[in-house]
Amino acid sequence: MGRYIIKRVLLLIPVLAGITFVAFLLLKAIPGDPVLNLVGERSSPEIIEQLRKEIGSDRGLLQQYAGYLGLLARGDFGRSYHTNRDVLSDIAAKLPNTLRLALAAMMIAVPLGVMAGCAAAYHKSGALAAAVEAFSVAGVSVPIFWSGLLIMLLVSLELRLLPPSGTGGLRFIILPAAVLSIPAMATLARVTRTAVSEVLVMPHVNTARAKGLTATRITLLHVMKNAIVPVVTIIGLDFGSYLNGAVVTETIFGWDGLGRFTMEGITMRDYPVILGCVIAGTVLFVLVNLLTDLLYHYLDPRVRLYDRKK
Amino acid sequence: MLLVLCLALACSVGCSPSERREGFLHLRLSANPTTLDPSLITDVPAALVAAKLFNGLVRLGEGLEVVPDIAERWEMSKDGRTYRFYLKAGVTFSNGREVTSRDFKYSFERVLDPDGRSPNAWVFDRVDGAREFRNGLSAGVRGFRVLGERLFEIELRSAFSPFLNMLTMTAAYVVPEEAVRQSGVGFSSNPAGTGPFVLKEWRSHQSLVLERREDYFAGSAKLKGILFRVIPEDLTAVTEFELGNLDILSLPAAVFRRFKSDPAWKDHIVSIEGLNTYYLGLNASRPPFNDPEVRVAVSRSIDRKKILETFYEGRGRLARGPVPDALRTWQIPPEAAATQSYDPAAARRMLAGRGLENFTVSLYVTADQEVVDLAEIVQSYLAGVGIRAKIRQLEWSAFKAAVNDGEPDMFWLSWWADYPDTENFLFPLFHSSNLGPGGNRTRYVSREVDRLIEQGQASRRAADAARFYQRAEESIIRDAAWVFCWHKADYVIKQPWVRGFRTYPVYSMDKGADVSF
Repeated sequence: MGRYIIKRVLLLIPVLAGITFVAFLLLKAIPGDPVLNLVGERSSPEIIEQLRKEIGSDRGLLQQYAGYLGLLARGDFGRSYHTNRDVLSDIAAKLPNTLRLALAAMMIAVPLGVMAGCAAAYHKSGALAAAVEAFSVAGVSVPIFWSGLLIMLLVSLELRLLPPSGTGGLRFIILPAAVLSIPAMATLARVTRTAVSEVLVMPHVNTARAKGLTATRITLLHVMKNAIVPVVTIIGLDFGSYLNGAVVTETIFGWDGLGRFTMEGITMRDYPVILGCVIAGTVLFVLVNLLTDLLYHYLDPRVRLYDRKK
Repeated sequence: MLLVLCLALACSVGCSPSERREGFLHLRLSANPTTLDPSLITDVPAALVAAKLFNGLVRLGEGLEVVPDIAERWEMSKDGRTYRFYLKAGVTFSNGREVTSRDFKYSFERVLDPDGRSPNAWVFDRVDGAREFRNGLSAGVRGFRVLGERLFEIELRSAFSPFLNMLTMTAAYVVPEEAVRQSGVGFSSNPAGTGPFVLKEWRSHQSLVLERREDYFAGSAKLKGILFRVIPEDLTAVTEFELGNLDILSLPAAVFRRFKSDPAWKDHIVSIEGLNTYYLGLNASRPPFNDPEVRVAVSRSIDRKKILETFYEGRGRLARGPVPDALRTWQIPPEAAATQSYDPAAARRMLAGRGLENFTVSLYVTADQEVVDLAEIVQSYLAGVGIRAKIRQLEWSAFKAAVNDGEPDMFWLSWWADYPDTENFLFPLFHSSNLGPGGNRTRYVSREVDRLIEQGQASRRAADAARFYQRAEESIIRDAAWVFCWHKADYVIKQPWVRGFRTYPVYSMDKGADVSF
């Protein structure tokens, strides 16, 4: 197992090399010039040229890429073109906020989504199932910028329960986390309902019932254990994407996370910021995927992660 | 167990900032300032904050005239090339050291220093010796002269009437050399100046806390400090304002009507006539818009008044030329103004007379939704006279690059004053030396206009300069160099408890020292 984990972590190196190269190519392929964002509305060609030289954008693509890899090898993500701040320290400052928001959102989404999905699977024809079905469609269809603002107006302005924006403790995290959790909760409800429905008609569940086990025991030990793998997949995917920043949620609720930082980098064509965020995002995504794979193995011993004979 | 771990993690990290800080003015910034180093600032959020932290030799007065700031008075030589500034005694930086004329020489040379990477070097480009210094041919700028502890002289290559006005800009603020050397690149986030406030805390992308300086030379501010909150989303900022967490807010267009018609708020809205001009740029470097007649036809095909009154709900003033009314001291002759009056039938006749019927042009706009909506309105007006405008949306820097390179036939853009001088709405925008990134993005070239602007710049007296600028503007309007659309007004709403608040057409004028509760 240990060797498997080390192998997967080492695989990050070629993945990162590939991702940064693709990101580099894409940044150069899209129209726009970072220097034009730096100089303001009035500038001379000499100043523009000098700034191009300063940030190295006058060199060839491969030269620039090699220069960037050289920086990375020294553990340096470079400095932002605009703020001149160290990109790595900025990412390090924002990552905990993103992590907190993602965790809080999953804390809301996972129990509620799974419970709603189970309830809908057990009561297929009732109003509850219809409500869960409606929610699972609406939750993934309604855009967050709309639901987010509505929830903010209701909770912050009308009921005056929580602050509308800002980065801080529990009071500040509840609203963005709740809004961010909606699509994940909806997907989880739908996937859980399908998975549980499939397991419920299996012979071993009937056997368990015949043995006279309690409904809770049947659900937890015989149903959920068999239905959990697709649910874990969804949790892993959503959590991985939240760790890469929830741009809209972070913008609406003024949450100082990686999503807003990345977006600002993109709009300002701040290449070191964009590349730094791509690297951080890739590492996080790969690690969450690794964790999900390990969980598969733990939850369902039939899933083999590596060949034991080797 | 996982849930408990998550809960602990989610709740443990970070402290909760209180929504209000007692005795502080709470303001919104729509974006995180990029830097607070005056030599590097080009964005509005940074300039807004910097105005509270720094001072220059001179500043703008209530009537947009140049008044003393750190300089108590100045003299201009007869030939208009040399300015001698007498500095006030007892002006200190936030580190306690008194400001001397050497600080100005250092600060200004720093802007020109090629190693400083300043995008604002153009501000001092006309100073004698500036170009040699930038090219590494001299160790200092000979046009900046320290004549005594509190006597500073600037010599220009030639007379340049807007120069004093330019000294009110952010790039001309004074900074202490020792603090810059000590902080290095960190000076951007740890600045030291002479202003009424000092920066106490900057939580990037979250907030900036400015505290009052008790020893500010022009009298300490009435409030304990200013707390700027970075809130990118307009409607979130409005909610914060309604909850009383912000004291003053520039009203977003989406909620303008709601507040304006609300009896509780309508008396707390103040409008500012902005020093800006919004225009439809017509590429004069190639057909069809290299022909002034065709440009006039385009101008006459768009009902700008109606767009301003309906689409913008009257939030601005119709432009009669490039120069905002607040700066213009002359009248525009009726025959020049006629080139802008809405008359689609006349426009169609003019185009037909040129053999131009049903032709296609490109119209470049930024990806901003409001601009895209506006472009569609313009497109329908143009279709009415037989011009098919193909709209192309581009992200800002890609748009800027395309426009700078003269790629589009038409584009939608605005110009905001760097300093409140008529010259700032003529020289960068219409002089042939500024084609592309310099500001003249329509590539309009007229030797006569060039000459008139240069004569205005070289005039010693404002009245003389105005005469040249008047003729230049008339020429530009007759040539329909742009479709001059409007000067947008900004609407600011304040809480009932805010006193002493005033609005300013130039953001650098607001030092924030007079506001109280």
